[in-house]
Amino acid sequence: MAFQMYMVVFHGEFSQGTSRAVQQHIHKLNGFTLMVMKTGIIVAFDDSLVPAVQGHPGVKMVGGVTLSPHGYAADRLQRIFAENLSKQIQIKTE
Amino acid sequence: MPNVGAELASVPFGKMIYDMASAIARSQVALDTASIQLVQVLARTTFDYVPDVVETLLPNPRQVKGANGAPLMDDDGNPVMITGVLVQTDVGTAFPLTLLQAGVNPTFYAFTNSTIEVKMSITSTQESSNTLSVGVSVSASADFLFASGSVSSHVNFTSSNKYSYSVTGSSSMSTTLAPVPPPKNMMPRFFLVNAIDISKISISQS
Repeated sequence: MAFQMYMVVFHGEFSQGTSRAVQQHIHKLNGFTLMVMKTGIIVAFDDSLVPAVQGHPGVKMVGGVTLSPHGYAADRLQRIFAENLSKQIQIKTE
Repeated sequence: MPNVGAELASVPFGKMIYDMASAIARSQVALDTASIQLVQVLARTTFDYVPDVVETLLPNPRQVKGANGAPLMDDDGNPVMITGVLVQTDVGTAFPLTLLQAGVNPTFYAFTNSTIEVKMSITSTQESSNTLSVGVSVSASADFLFASGSVSSHVNFTSSNKYSYSVTGSSSMSTTLAPVPPPKNMMPRFFLVNAIDISKISISQS
């Protein structure tokens, strides 16, 4: 049981509807969308949920990814991921 | 008598190890294939990368206006001015960058530890019982002319042997899958040629 980053690749041409449907599906599984692109999305969710995400009809493949600090835009991507993550996390106070 | 050594020897360890190793090898190939497919996806997925945004702060003096909108003057009759600031933004030309170049790498997995555990329980019981009963009956009679007597005896012998032998076994296999850095041969090499200064061109590889 561990959160990991995944690249979720869509079937066929880019469709706004498919992209949203997959994001909502992942959100229902307590996952988070980190970045959205035309070919797919970079998300974070529990590794035990890979089959559930893979089972969505709009999903072609799911593969684990990591962020290399040596990448040309790694720091920017990290900032984008953090910003998008912060918009989806609700901090609950007692 | 049960032969524990023979029972243990009958466990197909070799086949179990081979089957497990074979399954791991097939799984490893499938995982590597999926990771390589992901490398191709990451290498094809591009986004417009803006290398830099330059913000320049420039002076922007303004005259302060009074209550009715007229320019506010000081006691000497000079207009009251504030420095002000003008932010000039210059966005660098965007160019396409692949996710792989940007730093998103596929995760490769490797089986790090595999265990085969075989548990065997051998139970053997033997129960013997023998029963021996001996009986003798004697009868005698006598009357006026003759006398008679009889002796009879019986022997009952019962022997029973119960023998039970049971072997139960269970086996379990476990393996650990861990993420590992991408193998160098499966990742493209990146060369960065820094030609900003023509007199000091440098090439670096990552």
